[in-house]
Amino acid sequence: MIVLSLSGIVFIREVLPKNQSARVEVDGKLVYILPLDKNRIISVDGPIGKTYIEIHDHRVRITGSPCQNKLCIKQGWMASGAIVCLPNRVIVTIGNSGETKPIDAST
Amino acid sequence: MLITVCSLLCVLCSCSPPKEGIYKKSKILMDTLVTITVVSGTKENAEKAIDTAFLELENLEKRASFFSPESEISRINSNAGVSGVKVSSDILAILSRSLYVSEKTSGAFDISIGTVSSLYDFHKQIKPDLYIIRKNLPLVNYRDIIIDENKSSVFLKKKNMRIDTGGIAKGFAADKAVEILKKQGIHSGIVAVAGEIKTFGLKPDGKPWKIGIRNPRATDREDDIMATTELTDMAISTSGDYERFFVSEGKRYHHLLDPKTGLPAGDCMSVTVIAKEAVFTDAFATGVFILGPEKGLKLLDEMGFEGIIVDSRGKMHLTSGIRGKVEFKKAS
Repeated sequence: MIVLSLSGIVFIREVLPKNQSARVEVDGKLVYILPLDKNRIISVDGPIGKTYIEIHDHRVRITGSPCQNKLCIKQGWMASGAIVCLPNRVIVTIGNSGETKPIDAST
Repeated sequence: MLITVCSLLCVLCSCSPPKEGIYKKSKILMDTLVTITVVSGTKENAEKAIDTAFLELENLEKRASFFSPESEISRINSNAGVSGVKVSSDILAILSRSLYVSEKTSGAFDISIGTVSSLYDFHKQIKPDLYIIRKNLPLVNYRDIIIDENKSSVFLKKKNMRIDTGGIAKGFAADKAVEILKKQGIHSGIVAVAGEIKTFGLKPDGKPWKIGIRNPRATDREDDIMATTELTDMAISTSGDYERFFVSEGKRYHHLLDPKTGLPAGDCMSVTVIAKEAVFTDAFATGVFILGPEKGLKLLDEMGFEGIIVDSRGKMHLTSGIRGKVEFKKAS
């Protein structure tokens, strides 16, 4: 009975969907937590203008930005990790903060 | 029976120690993305420690900024040729380590390049005339930075001299943040101030932290990482000509300027350095980039550091001790 109950807890933890979301921060302030299961396009106001963020099929990308070099747009679709626009001080973090990835940081 | 099972479960749950997890937070600081990753038993402890470290880095940024007129660095620059300026222990530490790296790299790393680097604007794709660069070059000399440790003051000998700690302060910040995290009871994590990374402790699965090394000529996300290495209690930094650059008339103008010419150094695409402290991996990566593969590799070996130099033709040069510690991605 105990074993059954314990295995039930483990089963529920594994089967329940994880809260996949995109956190959008502007200038250090959290402005949105958006679930990845709903397709949408939003815009946020940064210090130099509007940044447009699209969510589609559990992936995220920046589609419009007032920055000069457009590196954030060039990053393309992301299903995990982060998209950053330094000039407009926008950070989009995708996935759970504690999820395990093949690489922990890059240089 | 049900009550017994529930009670047993409660006892089991309360006896087991909290499972450690990995918590991560990013912030734009020091004009770049700073990501702090920690291992902690609770989210609350992790966030408290990370926020304390971020606060310390914000304070450091205010003092070390090249652009803010109120920073200690700006006060040193505006008093160049006039008087010494009293500075905090952190700025003193950054500057004395800068001079140490300048000596070791025979002036290839030199924070007084600020006089010339401020003539470039990599966002607006502006490069100064050669004539203006040459006119300012006599102001680039680390030997004209006078540090008085007893008075905690710094004096720039020549008027209009400008120091820019952009090539070392981020590494210093990574070391500093790790210090703060440890004081907060965190025993494992990574601080990444852009590409200046300091690791400590192990992951919850007992493995070291896996760090990717960027391909300086990546064409897409598939070939973005050229190698990986596993680190604990070590720092790693990469300086590359792909970080801040523009192309004009077929020539790449990047931010790693040779203090002798005031022009972008041309012998390397990227340099990765692995050592104990991020303040040194940061500064030596820049210095070695400017020295070039031959002299650079010799210096890394002399310092007991490990490193990877990708030269201007894309050929890799490795320090003697790095083989076996880095896994290179096979070309597809």
